[in-house]
Amino acid sequence: MTSLLRAELRKITSTRLWWGLLLGALAFSAIQSVANAVVAGMDPGGGQGTMPGLETAEAVRSVYPMAMFSGTYIFALVLGITGMTGEYRYQTITSTFLVSPHRSRVVVAKILAHAVTGVVYAVLGLLVVLVAGGTTMAIRGYGLGLDADRLWVTMGLAVLAVAIWTVLGIGIGTLIRSQIAAIVIAILITFLIEPLLTFALAAADMDWLVKWLPSNASSALMAPGDVMLDYLEWWAGGVVLLAYGLVLAGLGVVLSVRRDVS
Amino acid sequence: MLREGRQVDVVGLTKMFGALKAVDDLTFSVRPGVVTGFLGPNGSGKTTTLRCLLGLLRPTAGTATIGGVPYSRLDDPIGTVGAALEASSFHPGRSARAHLEVMALGAGIDTARAPQMLAQVGLSEVADKRVGGFSLGMRQRLALASALLGDPEVLVLDEPANGLDPAGIAWLRQFLRALAAEGRTVLVSSHVLSEVQQTVDEVVVLSRGRLVRQGTLADLDSGPREVLVRTPEPEKLRDVLALRDLTVVGADDSGRLRVTGGSTQDVGHAAFEGGVELHELVAEPSRLERAFLELTEGDET
Repeated sequence: MTSLLRAELRKITSTRLWWGLLLGALAFSAIQSVANAVVAGMDPGGGQGTMPGLETAEAVRSVYPMAMFSGTYIFALVLGITGMTGEYRYQTITSTFLVSPHRSRVVVAKILAHAVTGVVYAVLGLLVVLVAGGTTMAIRGYGLGLDADRLWVTMGLAVLAVAIWTVLGIGIGTLIRSQIAAIVIAILITFLIEPLLTFALAAADMDWLVKWLPSNASSALMAPGDVMLDYLEWWAGGVVLLAYGLVLAGLGVVLSVRRDVS
Repeated sequence: MLREGRQVDVVGLTKMFGALKAVDDLTFSVRPGVVTGFLGPNGSGKTTTLRCLLGLLRPTAGTATIGGVPYSRLDDPIGTVGAALEASSFHPGRSARAHLEVMALGAGIDTARAPQMLAQVGLSEVADKRVGGFSLGMRQRLALASALLGDPEVLVLDEPANGLDPAGIAWLRQFLRALAAEGRTVLVSSHVLSEVQQTVDEVVVLSRGRLVRQGTLADLDSGPREVLVRTPEPEKLRDVLALRDLTVVGADDSGRLRVTGGSTQDVGHAAFEGGVELHELVAEPSRLERAFLELTEGDET
């Protein structure tokens, strides 16, 4: 198992894709962090409430861990998807299964290797938002807010959430082996269908259902106490998210063990 | 050092793809210490058989084993069987060295073997270049390096000569003979007999998923040979030969007459006695290619 894990990590680092995705994640995290720091405390007008100012823990959390998560998770998802679909796209799955005919072990090693890479993405992302967001807060005349309530716990949970999204990607990739189709479908669901569904269901007072959707489970994991929606408990959010990933990957394992490789 | 070697046994192997029977009740075995050619036209089931042997395809019926054990139950898969499959591709963005390192790490093999294998197949200079820029011949060499990585007792190579230039084919021939001489089991598939003719000792010939011949190359090459003769007086020669029970059965592409019923001496003597001028007189080099085509006739669509 250790040797397969090392092989999977070498696979990730031996092509340039992970660099590209990492740079994208870092850039988006930085932009999101600066934006959140800039709009904090502003009055959007039109009768809406004033946004929490940078003196509140809520705003500080949005500048650091929340910004990192929203800038990174989609890249982590794509990393996971390509980690699986790339094997079929370039038919490297043949040599992978020749090295290890125990296919389920291969998928488990892949999940672990990508989760580790997801953690690396998230930790580097946190460093970037601490610099970008912190600078913006300082320019606006606030402190860095590093003693804000639940800040460090939320950072840890955000790292966990990013790691789980890479696992989700592996799960999607094992089910949908076409790389383009898997990415398009995953992004459509995450960016379009899920938000629309959330909006529609919430409008129909069906919060009890909405909270189980993957993105809302992520939010629950990181933002306990925020009351825009009736989220799950933070730990339950994490469990639900992980369950999505593992159920998808589990289905993928069962399918790939039986599937012909030609 | 002579290895103990492992025999490959395919017994009653059948593989269906939907309603299509790609391999049909195939039985043969491959001995250690010799190079065995796995021959048949494209689409005759060679690759399907090899993929069943390597546990990549699930046979519909029958078994394919290495030393009596199915691939998926080998303790040390790539240390026992080294495979280079026709479709086994590489990630275009990964270097040749990294490709081998990934395999080595997964199999618990020292990654220092990666550059050694690349040197063995003549790819040292491009070890750190991305495979996307490799020619077909270079990919074949890399596939061979992957197959050799685990220092296996059995080598399974699918169309390894594809894309190699004549120098490369000559190199491959030496290489495979040396591997077999060490006591390894070497199975090489090809749809072109002439590619492997000088390399293989034994042949397994496949046609439409069925075994049509297993034996030595010499078995396949049996039967009378024809004599090829060039003359400016074909009609006269035909009459002269007929007196001695030698028959002109046709002409080859370059206009030489094909004669059966005797040796070059017989034909030369008859022409001399009959006063017919000859410009060329040779025995047909080999019936092998024709025998192969006859065995597998009607396969190509």
